[in-house]
Amino acid sequence: MSFHVLFLVSIVAGFVGAISGMGGGVVLIPVLTFLGLDIKHAIAVSIVSVIATSSGSASAYVRDRITNLKVGMFLEMFTIVGALAGAAITLISGRRILFILFGIVLLSSWVALFRQRNEGWQPAAYQDVFSRWLELQGSYYDRSVQQTIAYRGVRAYLGGPLMFGAGLIAGLLGIGAGALKVLIHDLVMGLPPKVSTTTSNLIIGVTALAGTSVYLAAGMIDPGLAAPIILGVVFGAFMGTRLLVRLTNQTVRHIFLGVLLVLGFEMIIRGFWRVGG
Amino acid sequence: MREKGSTDHPGKEKRNDPLDMECLVGYILLTGVLLSVALLSISFAWRWVRVGRFRFEHSIVGMNFFEFISSTFRKMASRSFRPRLFLNMGIGVLMLTPFVRVLASVVYFAVVEHNWKYTLFTAFVLSVLTYSLFLR
Repeated sequence: MSFHVLFLVSIVAGFVGAISGMGGGVVLIPVLTFLGLDIKHAIAVSIVSVIATSSGSASAYVRDRITNLKVGMFLEMFTIVGALAGAAITLISGRRILFILFGIVLLSSWVALFRQRNEGWQPAAYQDVFSRWLELQGSYYDRSVQQTIAYRGVRAYLGGPLMFGAGLIAGLLGIGAGALKVLIHDLVMGLPPKVSTTTSNLIIGVTALAGTSVYLAAGMIDPGLAAPIILGVVFGAFMGTRLLVRLTNQTVRHIFLGVLLVLGFEMIIRGFWRVGG
Repeated sequence: MREKGSTDHPGKEKRNDPLDMECLVGYILLTGVLLSVALLSISFAWRWVRVGRFRFEHSIVGMNFFEFISSTFRKMASRSFRPRLFLNMGIGVLMLTPFVRVLASVVYFAVVEHNWKYTLFTAFVLSVLTYSLFLR
């Protein structure tokens, strides 16, 4: 696959990933496999690029004090172990099952995003003892409503183990699994949407590094393939975040829901009927 | 509409203290990504000037992350500068970025905040990451 094709595909993946808030992997892997790359190698190079997109966006969100570092650092204990296990499973899995699983994760993300599209956030009325001990409360200044939003993270005893599952999927499929992480933050731990998304971004970088280390040890990281993808997704994500401010949330979400649905079914069909790449 | 759980803001955001955890973490991540992108861009530009194409063809086989980094550094130290080394450094710096962020968090929680609970949590994350980077 030529440098130009890889670079262009990665720009598109980074761009779509940034405007949808889901990272580039969900677009990158289906397209790379469609272009003939083996799915395990696509997963391995994708997860390296996830470190770049996650770290780049997390750097801004952390400095804006929207990210809850304590929530992130507590949950990372679970996601990195999950990512190591997930990446190890990929090395021994059949390609067909990876295609089907990828499709299922895309369709689950579609359901998660579809559910979230019009829902408002309600703060938790009561914080359990464990979450209080973990100091999972916080506040951030929301520029759109010009107020400080105070919140309390809850049910950390459930959020932690569930994040192991999100980490497992991230390592297994070479994606950030941001939609699943955000869902756990939102529905289980009661965090406001902006805190959920930005904290998920912080966690994704460390989770992806754990997965990358397994693929590196297995000799599956091809630097000549990974480097243009890293550059492409970073440029794409940069352009996406610039454009994001000009688009309405509704438009972005509708476009992305359509893309997720098509790619999800496409991956499942390829898993059942033929193994491309 | 005002959401539940919101409070009136005093009018300005928190000050960016140089010893603040958010600033520290944010700048580590930003520096890592920018440095990585710069190294990768240099490697591609150099490769193009040298051989007229961008594509690199080499693999990393049979070594863990730390061996990969140290072998790249050894080659650079012996002044055998090549576009491929810059490419490897770019990938290495990118992979080191979250690792350094976790390392800085351990130090910050231990030394600045004296928060032993989170020192322990981040130390666990650092230990697992270190172990994973030694895998081969």
